[in-house]
Amino acid sequence: MTRILTVVCAAALGVLPAPLAAQARWRLSLGASGGGETVRSRSDSLAERLSGAVFTGEAMATRERFILRLRYGQGHVTAGSATVMARDVAEGEALLGYTARPWLTLWFGPHARTYGTALGDQRWLFWSARVGVRGNLFPGRLESFVELWQGFSGRVSRPASSAAGRGAEAGLQLRLASRPLWGRLAYRVEQGRIGASRRETVEAITLTVGYVPLR
Amino acid sequence: MDQDHSEADWRVRRTVALLAAVSLAALAGPRGAAAQSAADVLAQGVRAYQDLEFDGAAGLLRRSLAFQGTEALAPAAAARALIYLAATEFFRNHRDSATAVARRLVLLDPRFRPDQLVFPPQVVALYEGVRRATPAVIARAPADTSIRPGADAYAVRLYASAFHEISATLGTEAGRVVRALYAGPIGDSDSLDLTWNGLDSAGARVPDGRYAVAVTSLDRQRRVVRTLRLPLEVAQPAVDTLPHPLPPADSLLRPERQSYGPALRALAPGALTGVAIAVLPKVVASREDASGARFFVGGTVTIAGIAAFLSHHPGRPIPGNAAHNRVLRDDWRRALDAVIGRNAQRMREVRMRIRSGAPLLVTPEGP
Repeated sequence: MTRILTVVCAAALGVLPAPLAAQARWRLSLGASGGGETVRSRSDSLAERLSGAVFTGEAMATRERFILRLRYGQGHVTAGSATVMARDVAEGEALLGYTARPWLTLWFGPHARTYGTALGDQRWLFWSARVGVRGNLFPGRLESFVELWQGFSGRVSRPASSAAGRGAEAGLQLRLASRPLWGRLAYRVEQGRIGASRRETVEAITLTVGYVPLR
Repeated sequence: MDQDHSEADWRVRRTVALLAAVSLAALAGPRGAAAQSAADVLAQGVRAYQDLEFDGAAGLLRRSLAFQGTEALAPAAAARALIYLAATEFFRNHRDSATAVARRLVLLDPRFRPDQLVFPPQVVALYEGVRRATPAVIARAPADTSIRPGADAYAVRLYASAFHEISATLGTEAGRVVRALYAGPIGDSDSLDLTWNGLDSAGARVPDGRYAVAVTSLDRQRRVVRTLRLPLEVAQPAVDTLPHPLPPADSLLRPERQSYGPALRALAPGALTGVAIAVLPKVVASREDASGARFFVGGTVTIAGIAAFLSHHPGRPIPGNAAHNRVLRDDWRRALDAVIGRNAQRMREVRMRIRSGAPLLVTPEGP
């Protein structure tokens, strides 16, 4: 699954610029982020807490009111205890957004997360609907944002089961005045559930640096 | 026989003629008496007084004063009749009646003084005593005149029977005081002029209408003894004044201080996002203990919001806008002053017409 997501995101990042260059109305933004992530796994008999670093790449293409956003990240989280197995983490999303108001964006698309251990991979996949709101602090330069999502359809691969999930992301986004760069400081929290017995909670603080070509 | 008969006939004729003459005289007599004027009766009364026929004099003098309307005595003659009547009553030993007549004379003409060559000292002393005990005022004013309000003055001359305190006001018919004119003493030896410049106590022209100068006489205990009301009718032609220019419209004025609105709109997203970050774990991931690291992000966003708020400098003066507004207001003020000046000039040129009526004395205990 990790490989599939990698391929999809890379393809999207590689393919999109060509048509975008041909059509002036498309705007592209690229970004790379790194941050600390904490994963809590809880079940009736299990309580694990792992943390580590995750690095993410993202691309966002905008045309009029429509936005296409792709994110893919990888990392490694470990627990302080030797009894808890470390995990590789891969996560990605491909979302289509519609800017209903300058401050309001509605999103839709898949959101996936895969934990890889020596015992195998466990993939969580949600089809999610999101609402994102933005507010200007310094117009055109600094804005805050809050994004809430709810998975309306979810599956987990091992054990194969349906899952529920929801999450949120909020923070601050800065765009430099005379340079095609932007930055983002964000806090993200999300939780996936399998019935009432199992839940995976992820918290992350990320710092993103991005590039957006000046028009 | 014929001679006797003709003599008897002549006697009858003479008797009839005498009766006719007596009848005519009887008829003519009352007509002659009815034709007597008040002045004639007064003259008869004075002659009777001089002949020391006081009872007859009293009747004639009272008759002379009883004439009404156009046949009534002129004020000076009425004063003469009253002083003779007072003297007559004095010599008839009717002192109370003499005093009442003298008081009536004082109220009629406070300036009246009996001729000491005509009347004996006792009568003069009686009159002077009554005059000093009867504070009263009469007013003399032009019957019809015009003034320029604020520039000229309308004068009402007051004469007093005795030294006493008065207060004089100009009021409406309903009694509302428009302007105080005088408060203080008035003597009996000279006159006091009240002046009114046509303006009310606020310095504005009084509107057209009926007014009255009220002069209230006070006794030593400052109780109202009587009030003289001199009715006035004020009229002035309409003046075609210019309308005042309107002040600058709000749409033309610029804000002179930085508004709080943009600053609060900048603060709100930061503050709300900061709060949202603090509570998001409770909403999204219940039953999990969220890390405190989120407060770093939430605090950063909140601080950024505060910085954005302060960057708008809410409430700080904007000198450029204030100067712009000052120019607009000064222009308007100059235009307003010019119009006010032109209107005042036009108003000054309009004359106020004042007509006075017959003064009326009102006493608390009745006339």
